[in-house]
Amino acid sequence: MKPNKIFFSFLFMLIFFSCTKLEEDFRSELEQSSSGSLTAAQFLTSAYESLNGPFQWGDVWHSQEHSSDEIIAPTRGPDWDDNGQWRALHAHTWNANQGQIVGGFNGLLSAQFAASNVLQFNPSALEAAEARFLRAFTIYWVLDGYDQVPYREDLKNFKILPKTLKGLEAVDFIISEINAILATLPDTGPAYKASKNAARALLMKVYLNKGVYANRATPTFAPADMAQVISLADQIIASNKYSLNDAYFDIFAPNNEVTSKENIYTLWNKPGTTGGNVRGNAFSVSHYNQNPGGWNGFSTLSDFYEKFQATDQRRGLKYTYPGSLPNPGNRQNVGFLVGQQYNLTTDAALKDRKGAPLIFTPEVKLRETGDNLEVTGIRVHKYPYDYATAGDQKDNDWVLFRYADVLLMKAEAMLRTGNATGALLLVNEIRAKRGVLPLLAVDLTALLDERGREMYWEGYRRQDLIRFGRFLQAWQEKPASEAKNLLFPIPSNQLAVNANLTQNPGYN
Amino acid sequence: MLRKRLLHVILMPLSIFISFSLLAQDRFVTGKVTDAKDGTPVVGASVQPKGAKTGTSTSADGNFSVSVPSGTNTLVISSAEYVRQEIDITNKTFIDVLLTSASSGLSEVVVIGYGTARKKDLTGAVSSVQAKDFNKGTYTSPDQLIQGKAAGVLVINNTGQPGGATTVRIRGSSSIRSGNQPLFVVDGVPLSGGSARPGGRGGQFGSDGGNPLNYLNPNDIASIEILKDASATAIYGSRGANGVVLIATKRGKSGAPTIDVSASTSVANVLKQLEVLDGNEYRQALKDYGQTTGDFGGNVDAFDAITRTGLTQNYNVAVGGGTENGRYRLSLGYLDQEGIIKTSNFKKYTANLSSNFKFLESKKLGLDINILATQTNEQIAPISTFVGFEGNLISQALQWNPTLSLFKPGTDSALNLGGTTINPLGQLNYFEDKANVTTIIANIAPYYKITNELEYKFQYSVNRQVGIRKGQVNRLLNAQNIENRGVAFIGNEEQTNTQITNTLNYNKQITSDFNLNAVVGHEWLIYDTKGSFISGQDFTNDGLNYYDKLFTSSPASRQVGSFASPTTELQSYFGRAIINYKDKYLITGTFRADGSTKFGENNKYGYFPSVGIAWNASQESFLSGVSFLKNLKVRASWGKTGNQEFPSGASLPRYILSPTGVRQANFGNPDLIWESSETTNAGIDFSLFNNRFSGSIDYFYKKTNDVLFEQTPAAPSPGGTKVWVNLDGNIINKGVEITLNGNLLNTQDMTWNLGGNVSFLQNNVSGLVGFYETGELRGQGFSDVRGQRMVSGQPLNVWYLRRFDGLDKNTGQSIYADGGNTLFYSGSPNPKTLVGIASDFSYKKFAASIGMNGTFGHYIFNNTAASVLGIGNLGTRNIAKELIGGSVKEAISNAPAPSTRNLEKGNYIKMANATIGYRVGNIGKSVRNLYISLTGQNLFVITKYTGFDPEVNTDGGVDGIPSLGIEYIPYPSARSIQLGINFTL
Repeated sequence: MKPNKIFFSFLFMLIFFSCTKLEEDFRSELEQSSSGSLTAAQFLTSAYESLNGPFQWGDVWHSQEHSSDEIIAPTRGPDWDDNGQWRALHAHTWNANQGQIVGGFNGLLSAQFAASNVLQFNPSALEAAEARFLRAFTIYWVLDGYDQVPYREDLKNFKILPKTLKGLEAVDFIISEINAILATLPDTGPAYKASKNAARALLMKVYLNKGVYANRATPTFAPADMAQVISLADQIIASNKYSLNDAYFDIFAPNNEVTSKENIYTLWNKPGTTGGNVRGNAFSVSHYNQNPGGWNGFSTLSDFYEKFQATDQRRGLKYTYPGSLPNPGNRQNVGFLVGQQYNLTTDAALKDRKGAPLIFTPEVKLRETGDNLEVTGIRVHKYPYDYATAGDQKDNDWVLFRYADVLLMKAEAMLRTGNATGALLLVNEIRAKRGVLPLLAVDLTALLDERGREMYWEGYRRQDLIRFGRFLQAWQEKPASEAKNLLFPIPSNQLAVNANLTQNPGYN
Repeated sequence: MLRKRLLHVILMPLSIFISFSLLAQDRFVTGKVTDAKDGTPVVGASVQPKGAKTGTSTSADGNFSVSVPSGTNTLVISSAEYVRQEIDITNKTFIDVLLTSASSGLSEVVVIGYGTARKKDLTGAVSSVQAKDFNKGTYTSPDQLIQGKAAGVLVINNTGQPGGATTVRIRGSSSIRSGNQPLFVVDGVPLSGGSARPGGRGGQFGSDGGNPLNYLNPNDIASIEILKDASATAIYGSRGANGVVLIATKRGKSGAPTIDVSASTSVANVLKQLEVLDGNEYRQALKDYGQTTGDFGGNVDAFDAITRTGLTQNYNVAVGGGTENGRYRLSLGYLDQEGIIKTSNFKKYTANLSSNFKFLESKKLGLDINILATQTNEQIAPISTFVGFEGNLISQALQWNPTLSLFKPGTDSALNLGGTTINPLGQLNYFEDKANVTTIIANIAPYYKITNELEYKFQYSVNRQVGIRKGQVNRLLNAQNIENRGVAFIGNEEQTNTQITNTLNYNKQITSDFNLNAVVGHEWLIYDTKGSFISGQDFTNDGLNYYDKLFTSSPASRQVGSFASPTTELQSYFGRAIINYKDKYLITGTFRADGSTKFGENNKYGYFPSVGIAWNASQESFLSGVSFLKNLKVRASWGKTGNQEFPSGASLPRYILSPTGVRQANFGNPDLIWESSETTNAGIDFSLFNNRFSGSIDYFYKKTNDVLFEQTPAAPSPGGTKVWVNLDGNIINKGVEITLNGNLLNTQDMTWNLGGNVSFLQNNVSGLVGFYETGELRGQGFSDVRGQRMVSGQPLNVWYLRRFDGLDKNTGQSIYADGGNTLFYSGSPNPKTLVGIASDFSYKKFAASIGMNGTFGHYIFNNTAASVLGIGNLGTRNIAKELIGGSVKEAISNAPAPSTRNLEKGNYIKMANATIGYRVGNIGKSVRNLYISLTGQNLFVITKYTGFDPEVNTDGGVDGIPSLGIEYIPYPSARSIQLGINFTL
């Protein structure tokens, strides 16, 4: 071969190899051009799942509950300081960078995006209705916490800023959305799918709180809105799909998909298929030496515990369910755990890590400094622990809307429109099921207390306290707080990138 | 040219005549020339009687024999890389000559990327480290060889784990989110920066990602060049912004085949143990605090029980030789390094063949072939930083109640305490984690000299890695979700990186004053990664490995994953010209256009120019009278380099599938453009007194624009993701680097060199929208805690913490500024000053050298002290000794909290290595150049930092934003002593 030929053949290679077009190809993910094979059903599945993060022991739940009089996460010496985030939630000293407040906002809006995205992929009428329900649901929660709801119409270009639905704008949007889809949603189906009744329950929440969204400091409740609440409740009742459970914890048991007669809308937990962190409820309260061994953290406050009568099955009892431990000593294993704790397999009295008896005390402080800091506070097991399923995913579906809440909302609407008798009947219907004597009369205070006993740790307490005008009052380990705390601050990182948001009053 | 040749023609016969006329009175002197530092023979050194026109050069073993005219009593010995020596040979017929290196030697040729250049022609800031100057001792990867050796280069061994990852920063961090590691190029093959070593599945498996350069055998490396400023790095364009490290491997030398053998063995121990209470102190502390439980009567050192004296063996054999037209070097290496933590081990097998051929009668056609094959086998200790409150092996050992036996009474099996306290011995026994990586690199590069000046070169290389990792935790371990279940996984990963490079080199003396050295080229790089894993739980114990029977796991516990990376390709065109006028004025211009698949339709290509100028002032006539000034060069450069080390797929929206659903992964940003750094550099190189004293001073100012960052988009946005944008702001790194080398002593018997470098660095962020949190601090009571921020007006990764104002005398509780409700910017984890010191000394056949390095002016968060050994452990677990006996008695209930209490100054200086050696020389006829050495690594650290080792970087990155300066229960650093022997057959 002549040298020149070699040279030219190399030169040819040089030219030949210069032809790459640098096109990017995702081999484990799909890109826009190939997303045509995707179906709206797939996006809808993910949209449903996108609620697991914020709600199931998630940031929305934390920010609703820890800011209320139901939960306290005491700093226990070496444990649970966590840079003061739990104390800030309880004492209402949060700022625009508070983890749960930021996480709740972002989580809800991500879910809004996932729901909106379903509509981009040629959904059926039913799929579109389900997606719009989910979107309305997330908008309602952002409205409740933050007043301003960013709403994205263009899902493609992130540089086009979302517009903001503020206060009653958001209320109107949700109402018009739900009314538009109500007819399309199914009458029946599993509780973890959107249905007519789930949409009605959402509308009830919106109408009941509409006065709050107009003016959080001094809400007024328009009779027309209350009439809507009552009418929607009646539609749910008339559907004949729900009744109050005889056994309260059947509503929350591992197989509550079957055992609960009350669940209207839930988040579906099915180990191996789908689910969220319902396990966090048990782990966050359980002492290290209990089963399940937990993180020894969250407790309730003794004032709240004292609202219960001893016979109230909601306060706790020995509950036997598929997979529950033998419990030879017939010890209480659900509800509010106080006093000496036992090994539920052997009935041996448990000890704490220092060898002292494991006795949960009603007294609890935001900063524990005593020798007994490991054992203070009454622990709450609302979701009976799913021992039968190994691993982090548990079977208990997470309850968002249920029948007793519908009845209590209806009672409240009646009470707020002068029908105390009707309200009392409903309240006592529930109380009878829960094993307590009927009330002789009901007023707003009594109704709020009843809501607390019925709905504790279900993620509604902050909303209820605000609606009843109690949220800023002092309670255990919390001084009276400022008016600004009626709203959460807009996360500062969102303010920085979205000029259509303004910081809520008092947080600048 | 013509005149020179004429002169030659005339002089040639004259010199022949003269030498013949003197022949009768000549005598012969024989001898040997060796490197003063390591005793290796110096091949091809010129040996000339002083005043004579002719001489000889040394052979492959450094020997020479030269005829010396009578009356001449001095031999002049010189070699390109060494200081010239004149030796008195009065009455001598044999001499041993030790040459010391002249690292500032001007005729030195350095590799500069796609070619070479004479060092005197350089206009950029380049540090060059030769093999003889590498750190001595046992190293697994090449970046460790240059720690402390070059100004402006920070190398951190993140942990003490054998084969563990390092952090390398050249002139600071210039990026927030995309990579900050420099580009490594081995024999012209740019590396991807990744490795095929799969990650562990599950929190408890070792989290150290391992060093991606582990497959290289440090013994095969001839030199490492560090390109720092834009004039030097812009030829690498989009990957040059973090600096470029060029690694050249050893080549065969022409001559008879030789076999070089080196063997070493070393013992390693823990460099530093943290001071915790022993059994008696613990009992006393319990008493002082009125604790009635927690004393089990014993006296146990749990840390001792998990550590050991690690034994390391390292063998290297290299066969080299050939002719001028065909050279080869085949090397084999074996390393077996026992970690100081029991069960941990790193084994490496390397084979490297490099051969260089020249063909055709004209020898114009050449071929370089390199083939490298490496197998690394690791056994990884249960030391992960991503653990929950149960901790890892290190925290479990530190926290173990020192009054409690580790063993079940009367047995040698680990005591199971139940609850959440895990016995470190159980953790060791019930745990297994193995990673094996096989690497093959083939590199073939034919070249053809089209004319004397013009050379075409084609390079094709394939880097193929396959990694497999298997791990399991026995169901007997009482950890949450492990006990009575067990867990196992198998992970696989493969990487194939292909490179095709074409270059044309033109090197011509255009006139006697003008020299042009130019290169143009085209390069195409393709990176490809694939992987998969399976994991499961719920095993029974029957003596089989869980990972060998994953099919018995419970179906609900199984997880399966697989992935193929997006196509990642880079296509580039580049060129460079170096013009030298009269050896006084130098100008270098480079340009590179890079196209990448990572960028959107709108901006596939980025353009990176640079220009550098230099003035060899010492060549000017007005300085020729200054006899002590051997060399003075003033340099200045400006250029733009880029950074594309961010994940593929940022420019387009992507959709992630799940078994039944699909969700959008991100917002695409088709307008993404290249992050670029503009660097201005000014420097002076000088050498004085016949090169005995030399140095460089550089000032640089590096401004990074269009910083690539994963910003929070305005919500609503795809779940949990961010969008890649180019920030409006800048990151500015500026600094001064000073390198000084002195040949303090240079006699026939004795040499002493002392060198050092110091760098002063500063960085600052501006234009960030909002702030971004990183620096995850961990442990009990530290959930969701981030200690660092990226925020405008502060250094990268600035600490943002509560300010600790001491302990309250009455309550024993911590006092924080503003009750702890306000966090403060509390200093930077970025070192302000880097220092490296090297010195070598030789006396006759003895040689000694030391290498020290240090960093100053930064803060480290001692997360180990903060959340593992707090006072609240008393009664159940152990605590730090320093908490006892202070002036204020800390309350046992005092909550450990992320605050400045555990933020410590990171200043340190470390005796990284020290060696003494003895050159035995030849033994008999076959063993030559026998050299024995004793090397200590990490001998001592001078620091006030109270943790394991101030040289630490535990990964606390959040959402891909890297952290810096955290120590959290890392694999501890080791101190080792190594005995080595080298010889040639």
